[in-house]
Amino acid sequence: MKEHETIVQLSIPADAQFIDIARLTLYGLAAKMGFSYEEIEDMKVAVSEACNNAVLHAYNGAGGVIHLRFEISTDALSIIIKDQGKGFDYKRAAKQAAPLSAKPLEDVKVGGLGLFLMEALMDDVTVSTKGGTEVRLTKFRHRGEGEHAHDSISPSSVQEQA
Amino acid sequence: MEKKQFHLVHDEQSDRHVVYIKGELDLAAAEQFRRAIEPLAHDAAKTLVIRLDGLTYIDSTGIGMFVALLKTRKKQGAPFLIENVPPKVQRLFDLTGVSHFFSETNDTTERIESQS
Repeated sequence: MKEHETIVQLSIPADAQFIDIARLTLYGLAAKMGFSYEEIEDMKVAVSEACNNAVLHAYNGAGGVIHLRFEISTDALSIIIKDQGKGFDYKRAAKQAAPLSAKPLEDVKVGGLGLFLMEALMDDVTVSTKGGTEVRLTKFRHRGEGEHAHDSISPSSVQEQA
Repeated sequence: MEKKQFHLVHDEQSDRHVVYIKGELDLAAAEQFRRAIEPLAHDAAKTLVIRLDGLTYIDSTGIGMFVALLKTRKKQGAPFLIENVPPKVQRLFDLTGVSHFFSETNDTTERIESQS
């Protein structure tokens, strides 16, 4: 863990019925950090897409857990979405990750749309697929915005004395 | 406060099915939506209108379902309209490129009254 970082963690069943709980938690934290309405909406979709993939591909409906870790730092919010299931083929999905409009409707396939949205809506996306899948989504905080909220959750205020 | 729970209201008129969808169209709601909309999508004799005023959330699951509906309707040569799209939903339609197909569909069908 880096310095100047506050961590919030949440574990939910790998079940579609609980993905809204991940969105609610994200909403609460991002609002507290002073992110704009649009930025929060973008992050909600990106986090849900990562959870969707975990539900649909990791456990084959056999039940499992999705771990979410929210890392709050002075300049960014990172959300790590981790499962211990069989890895979703992100490399293959990445090849298909494109907007739909390039093709005639008959040829359009929506696979890869979730990954495309994550990349389009976040500032940084990394995926690692060792022992399950770990998706790290990062949104940078724009300076000069949300100063008030920023002060109230500044990790430096809870820093340990050396 | 926005109502979150996904639900759908179907208004059948003489020449069209008008469907209002409300709440969050996510993976959890996908099956409910599919079951309700599929029979209507296959009724080629009537225009299918889906109104999104009350839609508070959509992701690739819901967008994928709209693409499937577009395909079904196009194959039948049946009119399909998506109306009253909230700005945050429109943004995702534009980003993914699906709005391109909606406008393509609308060009070849009558425009019915739409509120702004």
